[in-house]
Amino acid sequence: MMKKSEILACLKANKNISAYELSIIDKDSRELFYVLDHLEINRAVKVKTVTVKVYVNDKKSTGVSSVVVTAADDVKSLASKLSKAVTRAKSAKNPYYPLAERKENLKDLKKTKKDLNEVATKVAKAVFKADVYKNGWINSTEIFVSNFKEEFINSNGVDHVSERFKIEVECIPTWSNKKEEFELYKFYESDKTDYKKISEEIDEILNLAKARSVAKTLKDVKLPEDLPVLVKNDMLEYIVSGFAQDLHYRSQFMHDNHYSKGDKVSDTPFDLTMKPVISGCSASRKFDSHGTLLSSVKLIEKGVVRNTYGDIQFGYYNKEKKISGNLPVAQLNAEGSEYKKAPHLIIENFSSPQLESDSGYWGGEVRLARYFDGKKYIPLTGFSIAGNIYEDIKNVKFSKEEAQTSRYNGPKYMIFEGIKIS
Amino acid sequence: MLDKYLRSRIPDAKKLVKDLRKSFDYVSILGTCVNTKRISVSTRINSLDEVDNECGFVIKVYKDGRYSEYSCNDIRDLKASAVKNAVKLEEVYSKDFKVRMLEEKEHVEDYLREDPSKLTNKQIIEKLSAVKDELHKKEGRLINVNTAYVKRQTSKIFVSEKKCLSQKYDWINVMLLTVVRDGDNIKSNYSAQGEASSDLALDKFTKEAEDVLNISVKMLDAKPVKPGTYTIITDPSISGLIAHEAFGHGVEMDMFVKNRAKAVDYVGKYVASPLVDMYDGAASCLSAASYFFDDDGVEAHSTQIIKKGILQTGISDSLSAMELGSEPTGNGRRQDYQRKVYTRMTNTWFGPGKDKYEDMIKSVKHGYLLCQTNNGMEDPKNWQIQCTASYGLEIKDGKFTGEMIAPVVISGYVIDLLSSISMVSDEVTVHGSGMCGKGHKEWVYVSDGGPYLKAEAKLG
Repeated sequence: MMKKSEILACLKANKNISAYELSIIDKDSRELFYVLDHLEINRAVKVKTVTVKVYVNDKKSTGVSSVVVTAADDVKSLASKLSKAVTRAKSAKNPYYPLAERKENLKDLKKTKKDLNEVATKVAKAVFKADVYKNGWINSTEIFVSNFKEEFINSNGVDHVSERFKIEVECIPTWSNKKEEFELYKFYESDKTDYKKISEEIDEILNLAKARSVAKTLKDVKLPEDLPVLVKNDMLEYIVSGFAQDLHYRSQFMHDNHYSKGDKVSDTPFDLTMKPVISGCSASRKFDSHGTLLSSVKLIEKGVVRNTYGDIQFGYYNKEKKISGNLPVAQLNAEGSEYKKAPHLIIENFSSPQLESDSGYWGGEVRLARYFDGKKYIPLTGFSIAGNIYEDIKNVKFSKEEAQTSRYNGPKYMIFEGIKIS
Repeated sequence: MLDKYLRSRIPDAKKLVKDLRKSFDYVSILGTCVNTKRISVSTRINSLDEVDNECGFVIKVYKDGRYSEYSCNDIRDLKASAVKNAVKLEEVYSKDFKVRMLEEKEHVEDYLREDPSKLTNKQIIEKLSAVKDELHKKEGRLINVNTAYVKRQTSKIFVSEKKCLSQKYDWINVMLLTVVRDGDNIKSNYSAQGEASSDLALDKFTKEAEDVLNISVKMLDAKPVKPGTYTIITDPSISGLIAHEAFGHGVEMDMFVKNRAKAVDYVGKYVASPLVDMYDGAASCLSAASYFFDDDGVEAHSTQIIKKGILQTGISDSLSAMELGSEPTGNGRRQDYQRKVYTRMTNTWFGPGKDKYEDMIKSVKHGYLLCQTNNGMEDPKNWQIQCTASYGLEIKDGKFTGEMIAPVVISGYVIDLLSSISMVSDEVTVHGSGMCGKGHKEWVYVSDGGPYLKAEAKLG
């Protein structure tokens, strides 16, 4: 693979290039694939991904095109690729926008690097520590443990480098009710080596598979009208991401946004803040793909839109004074409501949660829910829920319990009323 | 022609295989170079870019009943000892278990399928721009038109002791998204063409553009469906979605190995109406997943999965076939060279029947024609369905009423849905523009399709 200095020299040698961005990502990963508790295959990944963005600008317009530098490239082939990229950039111009300016160059390097094989083995042990049930088991497990080093350089002198670490576990729990076997799906992701938490998460999903094995359908259980519906995990993350997307500079520029500054989203006084980093959220980043150092933005305050956010291109188009950058993780703050004593329905696992940002449709087929009838929880399966998020958000409530996903930190449950259950 | 760089690495691959065979019982090397050109012309933003390009290698070795893999950028000057060190585990957490070793037959061949079109970037931009401008003239509520032309050129080599294969193939997608707005009411619709020729893909894109816009406008007045069980006619895209999501994932035979597929108990039994035939395979038709050999170096197959309603067989990668004592069907696929092989669908479709589409519509007392793939999710163990159509058109007494519902979620039990199929149209369309994940990751290019199907289904 070409050296960074050689790539930069090629970029500077092409006089038709007005500006450039260079991204270098080193990935070092160890992966374990289990069938039951048998290791079937182990993998090591050690790759470098190098991408150059070539800009051809004048006062009014920007043209940009990418080049991926591979191991096949040398000075001659890269020079040829850059010339072709210049031609492409000239062919598809957009209104002018600047590159990120140098303010402070980030050097965020880890003091000690984790031994990936050792961590992967400890994760495997943590997963199988929860595999203790007679009628339930972990059918298959995939473990990914990765170190990333990300460098960003642009022609304005921006020169950032950052390292991060990530654990991912995909797990299929199965439970037998002696007539039939039932499974669910679990994907765990974190930037922390919290092995106890991994064991707890796997134990929880195994017990949910157990609940699915005895779950009833809506033929067996009649639900009351206007039952509060609680959603969590990936659906909650989808909903929050949907609002964040709507308030992105890009949506505002494209005119397909539902909200603008000053609009009331909800009667419930919740706050939504987009942040660069939340400890434990593996999507955290300190700079974005344009090299902008990220800064937090409170999008919604007490249920009202206060700000928008986004990258330098659309921020410039929208004449934003301060560019936040593409912020990756969301913090939601709200007063928790008491829901536990009255009947309610907790959606534990969707087949595939859906949210259409244009129409506002949200819902999906439910693989497992737990219905609290006022006295006890009854597992339910085989039904769907549907709503319109732009209507349903107006009276949303939140739980006191908190939770975290790869992109979200805040209340564990969003609580909706008037949701269609069928 | 095959990527020059990959061709230059074939001697390196052969040497590395030879060196690694001194330490391992089986060795293979897959090299991949993908070049993707993307031209996008939209109402507000344009681009002409190379995206998702990749180039790299994955080395697979077998020893002591377990496989190991090493993914890297290059194999020139890569020492066997470096591969051994990379895949070495100091501590192995595993119960005693031995996977069987792959057995291969001698095979040396080069394959080629290239886009015959000679269109320049300028000509493609003009075609995309013409459609965008024409649509804006027709509808004032149209706020965004996004068009995109994507040409994906894939080169791969596969080298082991007994095999030396190379392939280069192109696939072209042309997409259109229309977004309309009436106050706070925003709706969108899309079309996606997939063809082996740029000319053909762009022609189809141009012909369908006005319909795409008209449907997005009609969606502004669409109502939610009243939940219940209805007679449905599925258009070829929804037939394909059902073939793929509701049934196809359940016959991926790595799921059989893991005892994760209900289908394993149904081989040789009815799983659908006797009117139903279903196929999968890179060689089953020419579409998005029509490669010549898979990522295990197995030649493309065409597999009949369902014959007259009876489940015949599943589809498999090499390792799953080895474990199950069956022949691999050329369905071993990786997202890219950095990821593992899984059993994956390719081009998945229901076969044609004998009914005419017009007769099928006339036969519906009250129901919906469901159109346009929106979303789907598999449940191979328990065969629950989630398939979402972008919209449905109401039919009463054999005629369209003009009412539209959107979106429409089909749910229920797979066998109930497939067994309820009562009419199958006589023409098949396969849509070569999809991507498919396994669980919630591992994305590969796929196609699916079929004829129009009449069935009974729960809608919500």
